[in-house]
This record gives sequence, structure tokens and C-alpha cells, in this order.
Amino acid sequence: MRVLVIDPDSARAALVAEGLAGVEPLEVRHAAAYDEAEAAAFAPDVVVVAAESPDRDTIDSLREASIANPRPVVMFVDRSEPELAQAAVRAGVAAYVVDGLAPGRVRAVLEVAMSRFSLMHQLRRDLEKARADLASRPTIEKAKALLMKERTLDEDAAYRLLRKLSMDSGRPLAAVAADLLAFAGVLKGDAG
Amino acid sequence: MNDLALKLGFVPLLDAAGLVIAEAKGFFAAEGLNVELVREVSWATIRDKMALGALDGAQMLAPMPLAMTLGVAGDPVEMVAPIMLGSGGATVTTASRLGLAGDRSGEKLARLVALRRGAQASELTFGVVFPFSTHNYLLRLWMARGGVDPDTEVRITVAPPPRMAELLAGGVVEGFCAGQPWSAAAVAAGVGEVAARADDIAPGAPDKVFTVTRVFADARAGVLTSMLRALDRALAWAEAMDNRAELAAILARPEYVGVPAEVLAEGLGDLTLHRGGAARPDPAHGAWLLEQMVRSGQIGVRADAADVAARVLSPALYDAAVA
Repeated sequence: MRVLVIDPDSARAALVAEGLAGVEPLEVRHAAAYDEAEAAAFAPDVVVVAAESPDRDTIDSLREASIANPRPVVMFVDRSEPELAQAAVRAGVAAYVVDGLAPGRVRAVLEVAMSRFSLMHQLRRDLEKARADLASRPTIEKAKALLMKERTLDEDAAYRLLRKLSMDSGRPLAAVAADLLAFAGVLKGDAG
Repeated sequence: MNDLALKLGFVPLLDAAGLVIAEAKGFFAAEGLNVELVREVSWATIRDKMALGALDGAQMLAPMPLAMTLGVAGDPVEMVAPIMLGSGGATVTTASRLGLAGDRSGEKLARLVALRRGAQASELTFGVVFPFSTHNYLLRLWMARGGVDPDTEVRITVAPPPRMAELLAGGVVEGFCAGQPWSAAAVAAGVGEVAARADDIAPGAPDKVFTVTRVFADARAGVLTSMLRALDRALAWAEAMDNRAELAAILARPEYVGVPAEVLAEGLGDLTLHRGGAARPDPAHGAWLLEQMVRSGQIGVRADAADVAARVLSPALYDAAVA
């Protein structure tokens, strides 16, 4: 497990390392401030950051940008605000954890954060796929209509043919449909 | 008073002036309000605490209540911004070695980007304070004005304002857009130059707002009216030139901004707090912000944009409180 701890104070990193003793392989790296190049090179499995860290906005923007390599983030909040951590966890805002954490709980907390993150990541990808499917539906419908007309097939058979083309070429249905329409255009001289 | 103190969040910046002065000069007390100011170091924390009800009200970057209401990056929370806390002061600052001083049109930037592309050099990196910030949008508008595509021809990254000068000096970023005193700090350190100011790019663009949740505004309308009156008086007090020296001295205290008064005083000149009706929310500002969110790819084009802008930045509560 690779853990990046962003905290001006090194005590928290030591606590995390102690709590993860026995996890193999393990690398806990401590940084006083977030450094993008360093973080990219280290490629942590999970980032631990103090909620009062001024780098919080940077790390937050990384988490929200659905770009390359998002990482699960565990946030430690001040001992004086335990209600906030509980409310945040219930609301799924972020994996807030109250400070004063015993080393014995570190491993469980990080594992929960990581599994929650991968679940959210999967949900987000499913949602994106569903959106893309929806967007590609008109293309598939048009390709189907083209096949029905040109090959005098019924709707079912046209769809099965598209599926077969997709499977044979190992490409998504929407891509095959788009190619088919493009070729038809070229043959008719539309896209000369 | 048996009411629990109202918890209001602020970020240590010059445009926390409205909240700080309302407390320090007794404008909240004069309205019978029991207020506790809570200092936060990041916008993400302010957003989360507002969403969870750990804060009753807070200073926010102007696009944040719109983003929260629309549910961009998080569950939707209906927000209102019943008073503006300041505009102006955001500055595009670039590394001195780039030679972009005074490049209001962005033309020098465009030439530099083309030159670097020809030489296959890495793309320029710019820092902003938060994705949902007027600073981000001003930077992008400045680039677009010169013909540079902010999405493909440069990199925009998020970094805390107090670290901007250091990142600029270290070559981690080649430029940044942030409020004062962080531009002044980079210039004073000899590492940065001012390329363009907010007023060169989009005059009057809203920068900070005071926000509460719609739920709070409905449930505690009387308290909110008193808060708005206190904030409006505090902003008018802070705007008056005669009070600027005292304002800088109050903001400089460690529990508020905690930066020397001389440094603060320098940045105050760029700031508009109350003059010309600046504190009154304007749905047109909301529409402008939503347009920038669309241009930046943060949201899609929405049919209800005008409606959302009118709800979040309605002047009705302000007018009722201050009239």
C-alpha cells in the first residue's frame, strides 16, 4: 500500500505508518505541502490530508476532476468537531475522520476509504457509460434503418447484424454504426 | 440572549472585510446578533461545512453557491447569496522572465504560446485558487482574448493563494490569478509582474459573496435580515477612505487575516466593497457566472440558467433589509 500524508506536522504520518505496520508492501510518504510532480511520481493508493491544510482545495480539485488517476482522499478534522466528521461520512461528502485516531484503527479507515472510492469511481464510470449509450442511440437507430432499407432486413435482423459486426471487429456498437453511416455517405457521394 | 451563536465562516482574505468589520466594530451586536466568526483555510471546507449545517453562513467565491445549487461536484444544496462582499482585486500575475507585464490584450501571451509550441517546449502552467472561482474565469477570458485556448494550449491547476509567489519563484507555475495581497507579494519578491487586472478583463465581475442555505433563509428570515443590515453597514464603513487605515489594522490581527497592515493596505486600493451599489446582488452577475461555467466546461448549457441565477442572486432580501 502506498500512502501519501500531507501535513505540516510529521506526527500524523508516523501514526499512519504505525497503524499500517504489518501491511506488505508498505510505503508511507510524508510531505509538508502538496507537490503535484512528486505525487504523480509516487502514485499513492490513498492520500491522507489534514482538513485544516491549505492544500485542501488543490487535493479537492484533483478528486473532482474526472481526469487521469483520481485518488481516494482521507481527511482528518480537528478533534473539536466530531459532529462534522460524522455528518460528512453519513452524507458521503468525503472520508472525514476525527483526529485522535488510535493507530489500531488506521488500517480499517484507509481500507474503507479506498473501497468506498472504488465503488464511487465505478458508479461514475457506469453513469458515464449510460450517458454515452444514450447519446449513441440515434446513430445506432440510423444505421439499423440503413441496413433494413439496403438489405431488406427486419429490425431484429438488422440489429443482430450490427451486433455481429461489433463483435467480429471487437469495437463498440456505436462505433460500428457510425462507420457504417460514414461509408454509406461516401458511397452515395455525400462526404466526397 | 439564549440563542446559540451564529457560526459564520470566512477565509483570511481582504474581502473578508465585511464579516470582520461587522464583528470587530459591533455592527452585528448593534442588531442584537450573537455571532462567532470561524476562520477556514480552504473553500472546500467552507462548502462542506455549509452543506452539512456546521456553519450558518459563510463568505464564498461568487460561483460557489451556483455550483452547489446546481449540484456540480457534490449533492445539490439550494443556496442564496443575499449580499455581495467584494469585487476587483483579482490579478493575473506572470513570472518576470516571461515579459508579459501589462499584457491586457493577451497578445504577448499568444505569441509566447506559439513560440513555445514551435520549439516543442512544455505548455505553460497557471495557478488559480479554486475551479469555481471568478479568478479561474478571468484567467480563461484573458487567455481567450489573446486567442489562446485555455483547455488545450496551457495547463490550469489549483493552488493555495499564500503559496502562489513561492510556486512562481520555483517555476512550478508560470503565472496565476488570485486576489490581493498575493499578487503584490509576488511583485514585491521580484518574481512576478502584473499582466492584467480584473477591471481590464471583466469590470465589476463579482468576486466574493455572503451565502446561506435556502433552508436557513426561509427558517430564520428575521435573523438573516439583521445580518444583512449589519453586513451592509460594515461594508459601507470599510469602503470609506477615512477608515482604511483602521480597516487594515483590524484585518491584520492574527485572528482575522494575520498579514502585516502595510501589505494589506496596498491591496485594498483595488477592492470595491460598497460604492455604486456593489453590495446588492444582481441576477445579471449570476447569469454571467453561469455563462463562464459553461465556457469552462464545468456545466452543460442549461435551459433553467436564468431562473437559477435569479433565485441565487436575487436582490429581494437585500432590498427588504436595507431599504
